[in-house]
Amino acid sequence: MTNQIELSGVNKYYGAYHALKNIDLAIPKGSFVALVGPSGCGKSTLLRSLAGLETISSGDLLIAGERMNGVPPRRRDLAMVFQSYALYPHMTVEENLTYSLKIKGVKKAERKKAADDVAAVTGLKDLLSRYPRELSGGQRQRVAMSRAIIRNPKAFLFDEPLSNLDAALRVHMRKEIRTLHDRLGATSVYVTHDQVEAMTMADHVVVMRQGIVEQHGAPLDLYDRPINRFVAGFIGSPAMNFIDAQSSADGRFLLLDLQSPQVLPAPASLPPDQRVVVGIRPEHLRPAAGGEEGLEFDVAAVESTGSASYVTAATSPEIVVVLNERSAIRRGERVRFAVDTRQIHLFDATTGQRLDVP
Amino acid sequence: MSDTSRDRLMLVVALAMAAIYLFPLYWMYVTALKSGSDMFASPPSFWPTSPSWGTFAYVWESRNMGRYLWNSIVIATGAVTLVAVLGTGCAYVLARYRSVWVDIGLFLILMLQVLPASLMITPIFVGFTQMGLLEYPRFAVVLAIAAKSMPFFVVLVRATFMAVPVELEEAAQVDGNSRIGAFVNIVLPLARNGILVSAILIFMQAFGEFVYSKSIIQDVSLQPASVGLNSFMGPNTSEWNNIMAYATLYVTPILAIFVLLQRRIVSGLTSGALK
Amino acid sequence: MKRLTSSVTDGHGFDAVLVGVPFTFLFLLSGLPLLYNVLMSFQEVDMFSLGSFIRPFVGFENYADLFRQPETVPILINTVIFVLGSIAGQFVIGFGLALFFWTNFPGASWLRGLFLVSWVMPGLVVGAIWNWILSGDFGVLNFMLREMGLISGNIFWRSDPSFSLWAVVLANIWLGTSFNMILLSVGLSAIPGDLYEAAEMDGANAWHRFWTITLPMMRSTIGAIIALGLIFTLQQFDLFAAITDGGPNNASNVAQYWAWDLSFRQYDFGRGATISVIMTGFVMLAAMVYVRSTRHEVRG
Repeated sequence: MTNQIELSGVNKYYGAYHALKNIDLAIPKGSFVALVGPSGCGKSTLLRSLAGLETISSGDLLIAGERMNGVPPRRRDLAMVFQSYALYPHMTVEENLTYSLKIKGVKKAERKKAADDVAAVTGLKDLLSRYPRELSGGQRQRVAMSRAIIRNPKAFLFDEPLSNLDAALRVHMRKEIRTLHDRLGATSVYVTHDQVEAMTMADHVVVMRQGIVEQHGAPLDLYDRPINRFVAGFIGSPAMNFIDAQSSADGRFLLLDLQSPQVLPAPASLPPDQRVVVGIRPEHLRPAAGGEEGLEFDVAAVESTGSASYVTAATSPEIVVVLNERSAIRRGERVRFAVDTRQIHLFDATTGQRLDVP
Repeated sequence: MSDTSRDRLMLVVALAMAAIYLFPLYWMYVTALKSGSDMFASPPSFWPTSPSWGTFAYVWESRNMGRYLWNSIVIATGAVTLVAVLGTGCAYVLARYRSVWVDIGLFLILMLQVLPASLMITPIFVGFTQMGLLEYPRFAVVLAIAAKSMPFFVVLVRATFMAVPVELEEAAQVDGNSRIGAFVNIVLPLARNGILVSAILIFMQAFGEFVYSKSIIQDVSLQPASVGLNSFMGPNTSEWNNIMAYATLYVTPILAIFVLLQRRIVSGLTSGALK
Repeated sequence: MKRLTSSVTDGHGFDAVLVGVPFTFLFLLSGLPLLYNVLMSFQEVDMFSLGSFIRPFVGFENYADLFRQPETVPILINTVIFVLGSIAGQFVIGFGLALFFWTNFPGASWLRGLFLVSWVMPGLVVGAIWNWILSGDFGVLNFMLREMGLISGNIFWRSDPSFSLWAVVLANIWLGTSFNMILLSVGLSAIPGDLYEAAEMDGANAWHRFWTITLPMMRSTIGAIIALGLIFTLQQFDLFAAITDGGPNNASNVAQYWAWDLSFRQYDFGRGATISVIMTGFVMLAAMVYVRSTRHEVRG
């Protein structure tokens, strides 16, 4: 598979501020890549550097094999969907869609046909002569998408395109964007701060923090084997529980540092008396069957959404458990929760790096 | 008291206040319509009982107002053109970026905006004399007015550009425009109204400008209407109906433009001066 | 060359051109004159040395002379009275009107905008109208005051030394009030309405609300408006030219009018420049107050 976009050793400085730190990334043709991370992590800067709206300070940026450092946006042949949609308010939907074609010098009749074709796909057929201000949020979003599609560009760049929509529409558009991507055989780079969007839409997720790519890979790989404590905490909702711990003298048990010491069997034999951080996802804890080992604690709160129950333990640090059922557990009860040792993650206490169990 | 009757009462009070406030303007119109003897009647009449419309034609002819107004228009048009051409781009850049340099630029602009013309005229006049610019007095006045009003224009138009989202311009660039193309095709059309309103404000100011014209233009045939009005009003004049007729002919076009575009002018003005 | 063109079409060269040309223009026509003014204030400049570039250097002689002249101090006092009187009048009346129109009845914003005609009219025309209104024997103001029983004899507004400055102040208040009102209205409408609802729930009456919410919330607007008022009053020239001409005997003369008078009537450009330099300093101080009070706007 050829790479549509390739970054090697890319750095970006704003004065003294180092916004992107030595980024290496290859985006294969036809893939859907999501860039996620907390705000200020550099994901938008990276996307804007791809678009040419920011110039990179050093390193190499290749699009379809061509070096693109310093090439203005108009010569990169990429389409971008903005968070605010950036629809030209003084143009109708049709003029918005065909603006790029007009600049390219495409004839009017052809432009009209292209607009009709795209509108048929995205369901904008009846809205072509309207102005953006006359559209609903969802319709504007579609126009922004269509404006990108009509270009048939080398790649699509999405800058948090769904963050202005309400929750139900967001879930719907997630699927629609992915379907369009597959149908067009496009290459897409998608920036979002919402890890659920990244996990559900992308083939490949890139987790960034403070200008660094912390980890990238297939969504479920990130979920199953987060490379460090940050990625572990960022991927998955509610976030993973982290508990300081120490291995026992024989290395076969983990002594958890909750208020009252608790013991879990170690996933594998560890060096004796090593300080570690234990990570357990809320959904991996379940009420223990009779006689099963596990963590025992008082319940501080139970919240139910109807389909799931969120149990919060009265421990420090606080532990959250998600049960995909209606639970009879009440506040103030003392409950024992079991966890499958294979689902326990271990991180180095000082560096936060994943400790691989041999 | 019900809401509608409260509204009506407020409206009546407001109209009364407006009437009091605008009385000087009314008095100009009434006086312009009075004959020489009506004008000095005691008590004065507040309504033009026998309006003498001939005053306007007489003043227009005898004071050569056509020439004065033409000069005012030439000067104002020249100044507005210069200000708009130079100021629009400047305002755009100052709206687009945030940096120490932009802050410094804005600070300089605001500082230049406040310099009183009557204080600046001394060095400008001496400098222009030395450069031989006084040979072209109207052009010299255009330059001086443009320098004086450009900062104000930049401040107003900058507020307009700030309201144009930067993403639109970026979208246009990704769509295939150069910076120039995006500016001309996307940004300018969206800022058009704000630019027009600001240009109209500058035009009105330049149309009534007095200090520079009075000091720089010695040749009567090149003087604008403000200087003409000034020379009409000798220290012991008693031709007040004629002077008010002159004033009427002079300001009525400006007032008409203002009343027509009032809403836009007021909102353009307020968005620039403070926020 | 190619890199230069592409920077202008696609890069920051575009911005540099857009901002460079106007700043050069402003430097040549405002910056240089400012500096030239300072230079001239240390020179002897009259009709004869006007055209030459090398003129006798007199050091601080112009400044010293100026303060030896008997009219200097009265004129500076007049300037202070003119500024304070105008600002106080414009602000108080403008604030009153803004508060009234703030109640927002139908037609309020249109009527409010109409007031601004006083501000868009050429200053010389405003001066001419007030000159006529304030005329001693036939002025309509004297007539009204007599009818109301406030005065018994006519006041000679323009020629009586104790009134002439106030005649200009009066006209200037009329001219500037509407601008103050409009800007104050903007400030008022920016106060969130729920603050007043919260205060009402807390038991504050209209009087309390004005002093504890309106005024504190308007602080930066008021600061900016007073600074702007100072700037505009110090720019006022046309009204003096049209109403009193600084007379009688400098009774209504102020610094900015005097500076022009020295240069263009007495042809003492050196001294005109000196007064200009001093006043420019004051105006710049006021401008800094203004910039400070609108700083949040500057930052965007």
